[in-house]
Amino acid sequence: MNWHEEYRKKYKELKEKGVPFFPDVVLLDTIAACLVFALLVYLAAFHPPHLEGLADPTDTNYTPRPEWYFLFLFQALKFFPGSMEAVAAIILPGALLGVLFLVPFLDRGPERHPFDRPLWTGLGIFGLCVYAGLTWAASKSPLANPAEEKRPDVIAGKRLYAQLSCAYCHQIKNEGGRVGPALDRLSDATTDEWLSKHLRDPQAGTPGSRMPKMNLLDDEVSALTAYIRSYNPNDPFTPAAPKLFAENCSACHRIRGEGGDLAPDLSEIGAMRDKAHIQKYIQDPAQFNPDSTMPAYKGQLKDHEIEDLSRYLARQRRR
Amino acid sequence: MSAVYLWLCERAGIDKIWETLFARKVPHAKGPAAWLYTLGSATLMIFTIQFITGALLAMSYAPSPDHAYDSVRFIDDHVLLGRLVHGLHHWGATFMVVLTALHMMRTYFMGAYKYPRELTWMVGVGLFLLVLGFSFTGYLLPWDQKAYWATVVGGNIAGQTPVFGPYISKIRLGGEDMGAATLTRFYAIHVLVLPALIAGAIGVHLFLVIWNGISETPKRAGKQVAP
Ligand code: HEC
Ligand code: HEC
Ligand code: HEM
Repeated sequence: MNWHEEYRKKYKELKEKGVPFFPDVVLLDTIAACLVFALLVYLAAFHPPHLEGLADPTDTNYTPRPEWYFLFLFQALKFFPGSMEAVAAIILPGALLGVLFLVPFLDRGPERHPFDRPLWTGLGIFGLCVYAGLTWAASKSPLANPAEEKRPDVIAGKRLYAQLSCAYCHQIKNEGGRVGPALDRLSDATTDEWLSKHLRDPQAGTPGSRMPKMNLLDDEVSALTAYIRSYNPNDPFTPAAPKLFAENCSACHRIRGEGGDLAPDLSEIGAMRDKAHIQKYIQDPAQFNPDSTMPAYKGQLKDHEIEDLSRYLARQRRR
Repeated sequence: MSAVYLWLCERAGIDKIWETLFARKVPHAKGPAAWLYTLGSATLMIFTIQFITGALLAMSYAPSPDHAYDSVRFIDDHVLLGRLVHGLHHWGATFMVVLTALHMMRTYFMGAYKYPRELTWMVGVGLFLLVLGFSFTGYLLPWDQKAYWATVVGGNIAGQTPVFGPYISKIRLGGEDMGAATLTRFYAIHVLVLPALIAGAIGVHLFLVIWNGISETPKRAGKQVAP
């Protein structure tokens, strides 16, 4: 590490030839601080923070937007669906931070000018571009992260489902064992009451059931029921719904291969959105996406037709 | 005047302090590059603003789900200059993140993290995390829809951590679900834990900046003239 001493010597000379911190540098600092402060006061005075409605933990249709500088993370999550989510959410950012933290020990030559360190300058610019690209894409996209699950009971159910190893016997989204039936395509006749009863005591509802009795607490039963239900929305739609869709929507949207491609394919919309969200979207897309090119259907279609369509779409999920 | 000055010099060494902090010489940064060196002190200025406005807001804010939202409303509508103070703190948070990031980019692209300033950089990365921590915990405090749901989602993301996820969520939320315990916890972290940590870290950071001297503007290796 002999360049260290050389650097010390050179730096000492530069310092002696240099300028006093006060007033030379302090002057620039003060000017910059005043400009920043002026901008801050302007924004605070003319764009005061906007308070939304009081937090409502039961409103599961609210689509949260984080501060814009965290948007990229939401966008990144979309590339890693399902169990890969941890990669985008934690592992990648964690690894990046680790690299950032250790940069001084990875790039340790005497070169300081950005052009003399093409690798590190390139990595830095690449990182900034990825960040900007993700933020831009997220700001354009009407879809929040499909993996984001907002209902507390569903989240609790998901956790229990993992803890109790239900996946050992059951499949959800084609993952898991085949001892029992897949839980994301229950028959339409399955009610919440039946589900709860079955979870409490499988043998009671299905004599001779091979499913073990787990002695679950009441709130565990309801959490699991909510979780399973989130894959099986049970509002029935009428045969008119597919026709309504074909007449009004298929010019732009496609479902399982039928329809136009001016707009997102809705074959799996039910896996990402619940019915209430879809309903609001059909009524007025602009409330989610101000530049939406999709027409608002409130007033165009009757309310019960929109309801029917939403139920139909909420059923569209991967099979 | 000068008697007081001499008295203080003798007892508190303010002349020596002035010498080391302000009369020290630094390498001459020429041209527009000199402005890039102002980003750190601009961040420091915004931090001071956050500290002051934060203290003012805390005087009227109530960290409980029943009162938080109304107390923020009250600050906006009834406290003298409350809306302005709230606005300064709100925008100051964004400024803090942006300026810290810009300052980080300046030191990164100038290679200012190299010998002998490695430690300054590492403390800096810690500062960056603390700033993001402020942003995340502060976002919940108004307890409006946006605050609540963005924190739920953020929490789910943290809960994804392999192995430790469930524990992280539990500690963070103060229980299984978001509620009163979450809000008081975030509040305590936002106004007690993080300020203490960041004040200490900024102190170390600035000490290191002065100890090592500010880096010179980098020159192309080939064109370096022997001094
Ligand atoms: C040892 C394997 C096994 C485990 C573990 C298991 N199940 Fe089952 N489960 C079954 C089998 C087999 C059935 C098929 C019907 C029967 O035999 O009762 C079933 C049926 C079901 C049904 C009814 C599906 C229908 O439409 O008939 C539900 C709901 C269900 N299980 C949920 C769960 C949940 C939730 C867990 C975790 C807490 C779980 N199961 C754990 C084997 C298992
Ligand atoms: C003129 C073309 C057009 C028509 C007709 C149209 N849409 Fe859309 N729709 C879009 C576009 C484009 C998007 C993508 C996001 C946006 O711009 O809002 C979209 C988005 C959606 C979404 C939101 C998907 C999401 O990501 O959350 C739903 C749900 C939807 N449309 C349903 C419908 C239904 C139901 C109809 C018929 C009643 C319909 N659309 C008719 C263009 C159209
Ligand atoms: C709370 C946030 C921070 C404050 C208040 C702060 C403050 C300062 C100040 C006042 C300087 C003097 C030089 C200048 O302004 O450029 C400085 C230098 C420095 N900072 Fe920071 N900083 C912060 C965060 C960071 C971060 C996030 C990093 C990088 C990860 C970092 C790395 C450095 C380095 C390497 C120097 C030395 C630069 C040189 O010698 O040229 N700082 N900091």
